[in-house]
Amino acid sequence: MSVPTSTIELAGVGKRYGRKRALDDVDLAFDRGVTGLLGPNGAGKTTLLRIVATSIAADSGQVRLLGLDPHGSHADVTAVRRELGYLPQELGYPSDMTAFGFVEYVAVLKEWNDRERRVQEVRRVLDLVDLTDQATTRVSRLSGGQRRRVGLAQALLGDPRLVVLDEPTTGLDPAQRADLRRTLSALGHRSTVLLSTHQTEDVAALCERVVVLAGGTVRFDGAVTDLVGTAMGRVWLADEPGEDALVSWRTGTGRHHVVGGTPPAGADPAEPTLEDAYLLMLGPDARRLGAPA
Amino acid sequence: MTTGTQGWHTGPALLSSYLAGALDAITGASVEQHVNRCQTCRTAVASLLEPQLMERTWAGVRDAVERPPLPYPLRLVRRCGLPEPTAVLLAAAASLRGAWLVGAFLSVSFATLAANVSGGTALAPFLLVAPLAPVLGVAAAYGPRQDPLEALVATAPYGRTKLVLLRTIAVLVSVLPVTALLGLAVPGPPWLAAAWLGPALALVPVLLALAGFVGPRVAATIVSLGWSSVVVASTRGGLDPTWPVEAAQQGVYLMLGVAACAVIAIRSGVHRQRGVAL
Repeated sequence: MSVPTSTIELAGVGKRYGRKRALDDVDLAFDRGVTGLLGPNGAGKTTLLRIVATSIAADSGQVRLLGLDPHGSHADVTAVRRELGYLPQELGYPSDMTAFGFVEYVAVLKEWNDRERRVQEVRRVLDLVDLTDQATTRVSRLSGGQRRRVGLAQALLGDPRLVVLDEPTTGLDPAQRADLRRTLSALGHRSTVLLSTHQTEDVAALCERVVVLAGGTVRFDGAVTDLVGTAMGRVWLADEPGEDALVSWRTGTGRHHVVGGTPPAGADPAEPTLEDAYLLMLGPDARRLGAPA
Repeated sequence: MTTGTQGWHTGPALLSSYLAGALDAITGASVEQHVNRCQTCRTAVASLLEPQLMERTWAGVRDAVERPPLPYPLRLVRRCGLPEPTAVLLAAAASLRGAWLVGAFLSVSFATLAANVSGGTALAPFLLVAPLAPVLGVAAAYGPRQDPLEALVATAPYGRTKLVLLRTIAVLVSVLPVTALLGLAVPGPPWLAAAWLGPALALVPVLLALAGFVGPRVAATIVSLGWSSVVVASTRGGLDPTWPVEAAQQGVYLMLGVAACAVIAIRSGVHRQRGVAL
């Protein structure tokens, strides 16, 4: 068997929570590069990421990570976990730990047993997320964005080949987002990075590839530019809100940004954004998201 | 060299003597005061110093600030051969902190005192508290919904089972000797001092097995209520004060403990994933 395998392979993967179907027959494969998962709340993003992070097992289908079965032998599970960096959606921090102490604790769990090398590595990842100056501050005293970056730092320990980030940009300001973009694109050259977000602009800025999930199924999988392309000719700037538009809102210039439906009289075609394309892709499901303010 | 206080700078000869520690106390202190405030002289000092020395000193300062020393008991155990990474993990476990241990020590002490004051007729408080001290310590040291790092611990190569067992052993090692010593002070037959160990050691695996299903808090509550009912019922029922820890009952505890271990092992086998069972 010399079939080339992807770093992450999901075939027919399903997961239920009681009667709710979180993922339904998902087929996806990921290799080096940064992929963004987009989707409304409850679309199955977190479930998918938890499966890839070996945190939960799928109910059905096949999951292969680095060519190994994450629910196979202990040796296989451990081999996968050694190459995994995971930022969970919700991460608690013991209140009396410092940023350095927290990342060091995780480093020990990740088997950085040599003290000198561990300290160097912890300093390196804290520096990557620009927290060197806050290394000795208690996590409870850090701001939300800083805490998120502490979480991100531990996920980067050891340059893992498999990086799973559940909403890494929550609480980051634009400058920090730009830093994250630099870090992730460097990481994407050798690792498979999978991140979820609610922010289409994060995906546009961070990712080469985008997967849109809704209701536990894959609605789109392809290049970010291809997703934007699907909205070509369906977005306008007009003086009136669109009658049957999917969404339309008044922009700062006083004109209406109309997405979908028929163009109002006197409408000018507009360059679609990733957000327009995303909203059109989800169709009526997008209403549940609410249009941008 | 001297042109008023503003324009004055230490010359190379003076600085070299200062760095060599060859100046008398007053001159040395004066130079130090000046260097602290004068950018030009600080730069001059830096060029005279060995860079390696500066680096070593800085690394030392950084190390001391970033990594505060381990708690004293852990440093003690480290000297007995506990690996450094393990010490880092244990330092983070809440129930191994001083406050918790002092709390456990005090409750067992009071129970011992009560038994003493009553002249051995009121053994119930001691028998109630002593086996529960390690159980609650283990529960407090671990678990989903309680460990804020749960999601990370579960997906780290170290493995959650290993971490839970490590903490369990650490709690037992820290709580059992003190409780055993206090047990010696309880009036009654000599075997009583060790007899409470039976339920204590059986209840810990029961807690771990239950925690796999309902989480550590509920599991700790169930185990505490269960053990309390045994002790209270024996007192109310007019049984001998030592009844809960007599040989026949010890057999039951042993069986319970073995059954709990079996449940843990079976669940580990079924899930075939490290860390799921606990």
